[in-house]
Amino acid sequence: MKTNESAIASRAFGRAVMWIFLAVLAAAQIFPLLWVFSYSLQKSGDLFGPEFFKLPVDPQWNNYFLAWTNGRIPLYLANTLLIVIPSVTLSTVLSFCLAYACSRMTWKLQPLVWFIITVGLTIPIHTTLLPNFIWYRFFGLIDTRLGLVISYVAFSLSFNTIIFAGLLSGIPRSMEESAFIDGASYAAILPKIIAPMAATGFATVGVQTFLNHWNEFIMANTYISTELKRTLPFSIIRFQGQYSSQYAIQFACMALVALPPLALYFIFNRWILAGVAAGAVKG
Amino acid sequence: MRSLFEDKKTVAVLAIPPVAIMLFAIMAPLLVSLYFSFMKWSGFGAIKFIGLRNYVELLTADKVFVRSLLNAVALMLVTIFLQNPVAFAVAATLTRLGEKSSRLLRTIYFIPATLSLVVVTKLWVNIFNPTYGILNKILKLAGMEDIAIAWLSDTRTALWSVIWIMIWQGFGWALLFYYSGLMTLPKEIEEAARVDGANRMQLYTKIVIPYLLPVIQAVIVIDVVSSLKQMEIIYLSTEGGPGFYTQFIAVYLYQKAFKYSEYGYGNAISVVFVLIAVALTIAIQRAFKKMSDE
Repeated sequence: MKTNESAIASRAFGRAVMWIFLAVLAAAQIFPLLWVFSYSLQKSGDLFGPEFFKLPVDPQWNNYFLAWTNGRIPLYLANTLLIVIPSVTLSTVLSFCLAYACSRMTWKLQPLVWFIITVGLTIPIHTTLLPNFIWYRFFGLIDTRLGLVISYVAFSLSFNTIIFAGLLSGIPRSMEESAFIDGASYAAILPKIIAPMAATGFATVGVQTFLNHWNEFIMANTYISTELKRTLPFSIIRFQGQYSSQYAIQFACMALVALPPLALYFIFNRWILAGVAAGAVKG
Repeated sequence: MRSLFEDKKTVAVLAIPPVAIMLFAIMAPLLVSLYFSFMKWSGFGAIKFIGLRNYVELLTADKVFVRSLLNAVALMLVTIFLQNPVAFAVAATLTRLGEKSSRLLRTIYFIPATLSLVVVTKLWVNIFNPTYGILNKILKLAGMEDIAIAWLSDTRTALWSVIWIMIWQGFGWALLFYYSGLMTLPKEIEEAARVDGANRMQLYTKIVIPYLLPVIQAVIVIDVVSSLKQMEIIYLSTEGGPGFYTQFIAVYLYQKAFKYSEYGYGNAISVVFVLIAVALTIAIQRAFKKMSDE
């Protein structure tokens, strides 16, 4: 009997250790965010108190108003939307088309194009930053939203095409064949028959691409020089210079910038997971 | 019916626009980069052809470049041997929990991965701050004031601090990959193993890990490539300092071109960077393919 009891005790101990470990990890992942959020509602000076964490007793909601105006959030938000809406739409539609051509149709250059797609996945964005400064200037694309849209689309096409290709290759060929016999053309078959069958792909690709483009910083930092055309991440950067001692307002600004992707994540959680699953299964 | 899937006009309409964009915005710039890598140019004035001199200097006499590569290797090792095993263990644990707690924890663990790198970096720069940051305050409360440090500018801690930011942000992705992989594991395999009397340790080493090998390999390829690609976190925190202790390739080529006005040299780094990234990816995939063929 004694051995049985100790086995139960050691299992209980194991479970306790497991839960503590999971909880510590969860704390490590979200405590920094709670810290920023909590101090975003206090006075900047409160940050210098002796305690390492303090809840806001007298919430300074005005910090958020100041972050909104000093961080130029309305302007940068509008700029971000002007870039992200076309880039996400284009990237999703074009990668669907390319995936269709690559995974369901037979043509001579298909292997070469597929090679370009897979190589595109490994080429670091950063290696195009310097040459594009010359290349884009030649086409008048430096300091334009169009230039950023083109870059964003180009770098998201590879991944998105691969996700779509995985989904499309599983559809039986008789789908198109019977529609074709009924007199439908590709212009009708693709949007009306094939696209609905790849609905999960559109959701996954759309959400992922939106998050990536919304958060993108380094290309925007390199190609856009006009203050009035800058995107949302720059509202946080603004607090480095003249407002650098206004910690609480900087924190409020970080919370505001982080909020939309977080909300999107909570709503579309499922689709993000679906996309990863698709990628993981294919290896 | 063959002709339906071989219709040249349809292929052209579907494939030309996306391929053209990729050629224009990814491939063509690489050729421009190759061209300028043979030049000496400050960004203004005369462009001078100097042959392979940029490459010779980069590959034989550039200590910062070597350091950048070593830092990427350090990040790779920490990711593969520390972050990945923890992510795998947590993913395996999550599959054994009830659906509710599993989903809650998964949601929490993935939150940092959804944030923009600007938010993530500025967040940690504040936490690492020597005067008001959390870390030093905790040390102070624990009575260890004398070891309080400037985490991001002290040569002993700077690299590990930025690596911490990187694995903190990437943890959710690794976890999600492993979790998704584990969810595809057929339940029968697990039950059969248990009927055969395998204990939990054997279940993982003999059955689960071999089954998940493709996923593990894919995650490692992603880890290696993304270790090389680090830029924003460094650019917005240490800028490679103190000295060049925390330098990474992407930040280095950027600074060479835009801070030190050595545009040609920066492009030579770009070209070598692409070659390393592509060669490494192919090499790892080959190695894994050989492993699974055996």
